Amino acid sequence: MAVYNLSAEQLRDKMNKGESLFILDVRNEGDYEDWKIEGKTIESLNIPYFEFLDDEDVADDRLPKDKDIVTVCAKGGSSEYVAEILDGKGFRAASLDGGMKAWSQVYNTILVHEEEQLKLYQINRLAKGCLSYMIFSKGEAAVVDPGRHLDVYTELAAREGAKITHILDSHVHADHISGGPALAKKTGADYFVTTSDLQGTPPFAYKPLEENKHIHFGDVEVEVLALETPGHTPGSVSFFINKRFMLSGDTIFVGGLGRPDLGGKAREWAEMLYDTVFNQLNDLADDVLVLPAHFADLSEINEQGIVGERLGTIRRNNKAMQTTEKAAFTEMVAGAASTETPPNYEAIIAINRGEKSVGEEEATELEIGPNRCAVHHHG
Amino acid sequence: MKADLTVDAKGLSCPMPIVRAKKGIDQLNAGEVMELITTDPGSVKDFQSWVNQTRHELLEHREDGGVYTFYVKKAE
Repeated sequence: MAVYNLSAEQLRDKMNKGESLFILDVRNEGDYEDWKIEGKTIESLNIPYFEFLDDEDVADDRLPKDKDIVTVCAKGGSSEYVAEILDGKGFRAASLDGGMKAWSQVYNTILVHEEEQLKLYQINRLAKGCLSYMIFSKGEAAVVDPGRHLDVYTELAAREGAKITHILDSHVHADHISGGPALAKKTGADYFVTTSDLQGTPPFAYKPLEENKHIHFGDVEVEVLALETPGHTPGSVSFFINKRFMLSGDTIFVGGLGRPDLGGKAREWAEMLYDTVFNQLNDLADDVLVLPAHFADLSEINEQGIVGERLGTIRRNNKAMQTTEKAAFTEMVAGAASTETPPNYEAIIAINRGEKSVGEEEATELEIGPNRCAVHHHG
Repeated sequence: MKADLTVDAKGLSCPMPIVRAKKGIDQLNAGEVMELITTDPGSVKDFQSWVNQTRHELLEHREDGGVYTFYVKKAE
């Protein structure tokens, strides 16, 4: 007997269509609490697979008979085992092929804005809450904060009939491995990152953002302005595109600010974040659309499926951004960062600085888990 | 440590190490000890959760070069 396996891409497509799904996650409780599949039309329940060993009926009264059930585990073996049990009982169950490992590698591409000379896509790595961007103009393309699955970007560029000419990282990431240097090598594009974040000479070629504050590409001017917005890391920048879109990296999120504690200097970096928020960003108009590098909560995804919000709305809703007194701000931001750090962040930072390199399998293992890059200040 | 039964689940991945362990422990009498050997790192936390839940007693566990060995005493 073989049950139906659902691929991670199929699951994504069902979620995009707004299908109502019931997820039975059969990993152990700790792993589930830590990181799980979430969606606005998803109902989720955790019953570890080993509970089915002792009692195959353990979940019967907690599962819907009239809904599609997707079983999920770490790699797809245990979820298939449980799906077979449920299938035998008449439930409509399918197993997520490859489990959370496969889910962590699925990307969702959404068009944010389109006009004659500018097309802006948000590319959402759903499981990790990592966001990257592609900006197209007159046959040229810039990629911002790319993940390491390069095909996502080269295929989108091919569909748009464009050549990738610029690759930008808003900072050295702590939660995922950057695709920047590898994509630059593959496409011949220039790779931009701040020297201050690299802390040394990496083995890959790059152009320092400190010396390239105005970047142009396309026939028509598409200006990518590097605003220095330190806080999350000392070399964090935001990219201000045509004075209308702010690709804010990990500095400002829809629902909070970037955590300043991952460098072991929480207070110092929180003070820098204060200067960013109240001095550097003060002049930006309320109708600037903020497009961050992460989301941490489903509420940060809007009706169109885009993670983005007007700067004015973020200013109004974010408690830290209303705390104009510097000491109070520093206290709030430095004190609020979770004690839980992004999984394997020290190794990931070393890879992104070019100090360490890993193969595909190890890279996948290192990236398993949520991003944990935000300080949460909802409401 | 001496075991009354050894379950070798080397090379198997989830859920098989625990499926085998469950079958193994079902053959034992209360108070007897099962040794489980697995190479699947993913099954380690699951195995500990399963032992806790079933109220068997985890006597000892160790890792040696990617091989995980558990000794479990069957509950009364």
